[in-house]
Amino acid sequence: MNVGLEHYLVVSALLFALGLLGVITRRNLLVLYMSLELMLNSANLALVSFSRFNDNLNGQVMVFFIITVAAAEVAVGLALIVALYRKRQTAHVEDLTSMKL
Amino acid sequence: MNLSLMSLEIAVVALGLLVLLADLWLPVERKRMLGYAAAAVLAVLFLNSFTSHCSCAAIGESAFGGMFVQDGLSVFFKRLFLLAGALVLMLTVEFSDRVAAGIAEYYSLIIFALAGMLFAASSNDFAMLFVSIELITITFYVLTSFTRGKVAALEAGVKYLILGALSSAFMIYGIALVWGTTGKFNFNELAMVAGNFAGNKLFLFGVLFILVGLGFKIAAFPFQIWTPDVYQGAPTPTTAFLAIGSKAAGFVLLVRFLFSAIPEVTAQWANLLIVISAVTILYGNLCAIPQRNLKRLLGYSSIAHAGYLLLGVAALAGAIANGQSPTANAGAAAVLYYLAGYLFTTVAAFAVIVLVMRHLDSEDVSGLAGLHQRSPLLAATLTLAMVSLAGIPPLAGFFGKFLLLKAVIEQGAANPGFYCLAFTALVGVVISFYYYFGVIRAIYWSKDAAESSPIPLSWPMKLSVAACVTGMFYLGLFPGAVVNAAAQATRVLLH
Repeated sequence: MNVGLEHYLVVSALLFALGLLGVITRRNLLVLYMSLELMLNSANLALVSFSRFNDNLNGQVMVFFIITVAAAEVAVGLALIVALYRKRQTAHVEDLTSMKL
Repeated sequence: MNLSLMSLEIAVVALGLLVLLADLWLPVERKRMLGYAAAAVLAVLFLNSFTSHCSCAAIGESAFGGMFVQDGLSVFFKRLFLLAGALVLMLTVEFSDRVAAGIAEYYSLIIFALAGMLFAASSNDFAMLFVSIELITITFYVLTSFTRGKVAALEAGVKYLILGALSSAFMIYGIALVWGTTGKFNFNELAMVAGNFAGNKLFLFGVLFILVGLGFKIAAFPFQIWTPDVYQGAPTPTTAFLAIGSKAAGFVLLVRFLFSAIPEVTAQWANLLIVISAVTILYGNLCAIPQRNLKRLLGYSSIAHAGYLLLGVAALAGAIANGQSPTANAGAAAVLYYLAGYLFTTVAAFAVIVLVMRHLDSEDVSGLAGLHQRSPLLAATLTLAMVSLAGIPPLAGFFGKFLLLKAVIEQGAANPGFYCLAFTALVGVVISFYYYFGVIRAIYWSKDAAESSPIPLSWPMKLSVAACVTGMFYLGLFPGAVVNAAAQATRVLLH
């Protein structure tokens, strides 16, 4: 079987959908955050495969930007989640209810 | 490569680093004064942007292979951001007693977010759009939970983080799809080929996903869920900067993406913009009615204002769909004018919140009781801000709404949907009178004032409050200069 652009795109769309499903259904902040990273990486896969099959390197450069930004986002995000855990002793979405109406 | 074109951005980043360095050597009791120094530098940069020494004078040039453009639109927004940054820094100095440690870091984070906004104003490429938007958003995650002793701030930060990361994941996937189908990152190059892809499903999905990311930044329905919680939980200066800076950055990117990258697709989607704008206006205004927390109320009101601003975007999309006319950019020009008015109004409102709610745990509206006796100046300022947000003449908010509605009604002849939109906007304005006047009633006519001590005002705070009030009146009474500048600035959006 010849593996073409479509196959990679389907895998990347599946990864994106799985990540989105995780964000919607999971309740633990860390797992939620992991799912978000999965979504970012599905975009990376799409960019790299487009880049490979269209003979255009710009997409791969974009991937570096995304990886760098995602690293910064993770650093800030984990720090926030740890700070919240120290304060509330919980990392569950259901417990984030101190602000209502 | 034309590095001198970025001299303003480089100066702002250098200022942020300098503030961080100065933090190492300054004695603790002097650190809060750094905010005044940084605000003064930003004010000088703002004034300098009107002279020929600034990179803002090089209109029409671009750097980094067209990624970074300097045109009328970017210069207008850069001035707006510099002014917002300076005013917010002044506010932050007043707030500094409520930040446990690291006030200099708070200042420098505000300045770095400002740098992201300046880059956003000039970005003409998906890579630049993504990096500048993330620079703003990630900085705001930290700014939102900076008072990390308070549970509400941490909760607001985590909610902003999760939803912000979700929207950037959508945006980046959209960018991948748009780039994959067209092979272009640059907006001008994309505009040349976008018309050929208007029927390509993958491309349209990509555009839709990018709009999700931008809709999150401007808090448009249905991506507004984070707004009330983050506005309520975040430290007040962060909320003020979020309300004006982050929203304006979202709008400059949205306008540039819709009208300079994909004008053909935007023209087809005018009806989508009409619906989003109408629902956003109604949602923001209706949900604001039962709110008792002043910051949460302003959060819902900021959703409604995103809806009003989308009126102008929808009007421009309609104008492009109907074919060009010399005044087609009236809608976008109204957006720029409205943002300028919104800047002074929100900063004034949040300045009063910072000063009045100093000793209170929550920013409940009842905390305003007796304000007209404690400080007539602040009472008058908050009243003017509410009157301007409600859109009553002669303040800035009235003329802004007038221009937006005029632009929308002009498009009604070709697409009756615009008449419905104008009607919805008017209904929204009428609803908003109720809750804005509830705030004014709490200031002047509430019975049980818990406190009656006068509120001390430092002279820099008097200065910035006076600047906001002057701005509101100037824009409302003499709109000509800013309206002309906005019309000039948005001419680049017409091809």
